[in-house]
Amino acid sequence: MSLENDVLDVKKLDIRGKVCPMTFIYTKLRLEEMKKDEILEVTLDFPAALESIPDSCKRQDLAETIEIKEFDGNKNTWLLILRKI
Amino acid sequence: MDLTEEQIHRYSRQIVLKEVGGIGQKKLLNSTVTVIGLGALGSPVAYYLTAAGIGNIRIVDFDTVEISNLHRQILHFTDDINKKKTKSASRKLQLLNPDCNIEIIEEMILPDNVKEIVKDSDFVIEGSDNFPTKMLINDACVSLKIPFSIAGVLRFHGQIMTVVPEKKTTCYRCLFGDVGDSPSGMSCSQAGVIGLVPGILGCMEANEAIKTILGIGELLTNKILFVDLKTNNFTFIDVYRAEDCLACGENAIDLVKTYDYGVENVCH
Repeated sequence: MSLENDVLDVKKLDIRGKVCPMTFIYTKLRLEEMKKDEILEVTLDFPAALESIPDSCKRQDLAETIEIKEFDGNKNTWLLILRKI
Repeated sequence: MDLTEEQIHRYSRQIVLKEVGGIGQKKLLNSTVTVIGLGALGSPVAYYLTAAGIGNIRIVDFDTVEISNLHRQILHFTDDINKKKTKSASRKLQLLNPDCNIEIIEEMILPDNVKEIVKDSDFVIEGSDNFPTKMLINDACVSLKIPFSIAGVLRFHGQIMTVVPEKKTTCYRCLFGDVGDSPSGMSCSQAGVIGLVPGILGCMEANEAIKTILGIGELLTNKILFVDLKTNNFTFIDVYRAEDCLACGENAIDLVKTYDYGVENVCH
């Protein structure tokens, strides 16, 4: 982990190739191991999960969505940034 | 202990629930549930607990499968007739979920062995077919402070209650007192039963076990649920602890050692 990640306390999860509901389940399992306010960067390529993961995280009081952006200029892959509640 | 990829997929539809998650799934995998009786109640109980990933399931029965069992005892198939119910059940349960350790106890529940059989359980399911055994299990579990669910069925009717000794909830003996004082009820063999009635009640017992292990929801404590599936009436009746209950009251005694249950003389 880089110094920058240490400071920001950013965890990463790559769920490219996964589809719903496993996208949320892997995200949930990772969030359960994290402390409050830690940041999780989820890399994903299943578009429906851009809505379903934030929705489910909110409904289950797991995390709030900070940002959704394209991953590395790739139009079919995204970074979903979550903060553990 | 981390969940394996296979476990994450196998249990995904319950891990996804807010009430379960990976944390809850690990609790289930680390728990021990004893299922007493592998008949009409015990069959769905053992099946669903195995499917849910209860890590250790202790199944207890001394009986063999008969053709007249098959309309309601759904773990047993036609080619299991004359086999021990424990063997028949464990074969299916192992096939269903190799994650679970299925411990077989091929014994009749008696005052001499009941505590040894239920000890170290996180929950006990009472699925026997007779009143003295139900009372014996109540007394043993109350004494060892093990939560348990107890159910009975007849014709289209069923009843179920859960006891959490640690929380001093109403126990089965609080309600029914001395075995000797109780009317000698008919068994399923005489009165008959629609096969799915114990199926529904058994599923509810399994649900009580899962909720207890996860520490969620509400249990059927201090109440008894009567189910009439001919009329679809579900009736909850509040029940109260008996101060003078010999199992859980102020002056409780170790009944298992001293009480004459007459379990050996029961007609099954």
